[in-house]
Amino acid sequence: MAGPIISDQKVKTDKKRITIDPITRLEGHGKIDIFLDENGNCKNAYWQVPELRGFERFCIGRHVGELPVLTNRLCGVCPAAHHIASARTLDAVFDAEPTETAHKLRELFYMGQFTHSHIAHFYALAAPDFVLGPAAPYEKRNILGVVEAVGVPIGAEVIKHRHYGQKVQEIIGGRATHPVFGIPGGVSKPITEEERTEIEKMAKSCVEFGKFTLKLFEDVVLKNKDYMALVTNGNVFYQTTNYIGLVDKDDKVNFYRGKVKVVDPNGKELAKFDPKDYLKYIAEHVEPWTYMKMPYFKPIGWKGLVDGASSGIYRAGPLGRVNVSKGFTTPLAQAAYENMRSVVKSLGVTGPVHHTLAYHWMRVIELQYAAERMLELASDKSITSKDVRGKVGEPNEGVGIVEAPRGTLIHHYKSDKDGICTMINMIVATTNNNAAIVHEVKKNAMALIKNGEISPGLLNTIEMSFRCYDPCNSCGTHVLPNGQLALEVRIFDDEGNLRKSLRNF
Amino acid sequence: MKSKTLLLGIGNPIRTDDAIGVMVAREVSKLRLPDVDVEEIAASGIEVMELMLDYEKVVIVDAIMLPDGKPGEIMKLEEGDFSSTVHGASPHGVNLSTAIALGRQTAPSRMPKQIVFYAMQAEDVDTFSESLTTRVRENLPSLIDTVVRELARD
Repeated sequence: MAGPIISDQKVKTDKKRITIDPITRLEGHGKIDIFLDENGNCKNAYWQVPELRGFERFCIGRHVGELPVLTNRLCGVCPAAHHIASARTLDAVFDAEPTETAHKLRELFYMGQFTHSHIAHFYALAAPDFVLGPAAPYEKRNILGVVEAVGVPIGAEVIKHRHYGQKVQEIIGGRATHPVFGIPGGVSKPITEEERTEIEKMAKSCVEFGKFTLKLFEDVVLKNKDYMALVTNGNVFYQTTNYIGLVDKDDKVNFYRGKVKVVDPNGKELAKFDPKDYLKYIAEHVEPWTYMKMPYFKPIGWKGLVDGASSGIYRAGPLGRVNVSKGFTTPLAQAAYENMRSVVKSLGVTGPVHHTLAYHWMRVIELQYAAERMLELASDKSITSKDVRGKVGEPNEGVGIVEAPRGTLIHHYKSDKDGICTMINMIVATTNNNAAIVHEVKKNAMALIKNGEISPGLLNTIEMSFRCYDPCNSCGTHVLPNGQLALEVRIFDDEGNLRKSLRNF
Repeated sequence: MKSKTLLLGIGNPIRTDDAIGVMVAREVSKLRLPDVDVEEIAASGIEVMELMLDYEKVVIVDAIMLPDGKPGEIMKLEEGDFSSTVHGASPHGVNLSTAIALGRQTAPSRMPKQIVFYAMQAEDVDTFSESLTTRVRENLPSLIDTVVRELARD
């Protein structure tokens, strides 16, 4: 296969504003606006997302027991994460501790979600940039181009294992995309021995596919000096932020339960707290130009869109989770983690990894972990126990925090004595990364656009920075042509007048 | 055993007019048409492509938002109409046209021979609600009728 195309010819522009709208390969209709100064250098860049209206109003007045099904309708991408976060929240609302079997079933289901989600992200969204190169022709830079480059048999394996992740969720959760099994204190149904063995078989295959994916990442990215130069570039794709993620009692990554840990840019622990205490540690800043809030670490405070130890901005998701943790509980993921630590150490990094493109690396390590953990849980024959629901108390208030594939996900509900929802607050994973994404886009645009010189590959490189975060803008499904509402480019003159609008739909 | 034809309604039932496809699927399902399976899905991309496998014909119904469209307007689209959108993709993976192309690339013998899209122009897909907007609601019976006729065609 031909090598990736990393840079292309620059094109001079005299436009003062460049708009890429909507962002390709992203859920929802976000856009990036880049404003140039008189010299054609980037003055400012904004990442904006559309506003969704009325979810809180939609939920208040309904029974809180409906929320695991309603909140998972927020999103066509990670309904499973909302469902599990909601079930964890209802455990707290009803003071209902799930049985161990229920915990295992939820976590097994959730490993299916991570497997499915991380495969989809790596192969469909990240791989076009790495396998084909950020400046490869636009029409080739997609999963079809990737399959063409790596071969149809590998493409079929990608689809098969992504489907396995879906199938595990369907068997346990009742439905493939919008599960219905999470209830206060447990799950609505156990699994049979036959179902367990079916999941175990798929999990074994996913472990092998995880190994294959790590090897592919090593061959395509780690062994490519141009990519490694891009990954380790200290000007672009780099932010010295705080990090956030769930950890278990040994400080290992856990997607389903644990304490929330925050570290500073040097890796020093700033906090480790129970979900119910999140409001002591997390606050949200509001900017007038975007409806999406910007959460920050409250004890430090909001210091603006800046990075460094004095800023309250943190990053969540695969990079955040790995940076707050001491690795993974499963052997292959732990080995991949140790290998990663050894490689970055050779580059002089001993603390948190601040290189944004390393998100992709952490994601493929997490894929290995999710598959291994799936196999561990599915191999445990006690998981077919019928004891799937704990005792349920009177409804009150509760907080549930899990790790969604793209970052820390917080649900918080209040209920009256009859179980009617009186308050709902959610800080979703992409929101947790919002300040960092906006800062990153601006920082990269300033470094990469000079003297009005712009090329499609260069703009895609800026998009690459936030694609790392796997952001999900709309928490909605789509409208034909299926979310990818096609490309709209708006060109404004230096007085802000719209001169031309180009659409491919 | 799968039927010969699949009707697939795509949409989110709590996002106002985004529910168009789901509403059509639910209504057509009540008719119990022979040799027609009916599914609804609140996702797109590869999930949709996987649902299509091993059918001879697939009819997809979804909401659409065109810049000059009138709410409630019904459109019939063929697979080729989406060719310009086969590139970087959407819902956390790929968009529908890319997913269909991926199916034809990786499992060509299992993909349907005929894929037809019906879409209705939506007015609001950003508000959380289980009610359709007025013009969409009024025109929904026409869309259902059109889709039923399409399902009867070879």
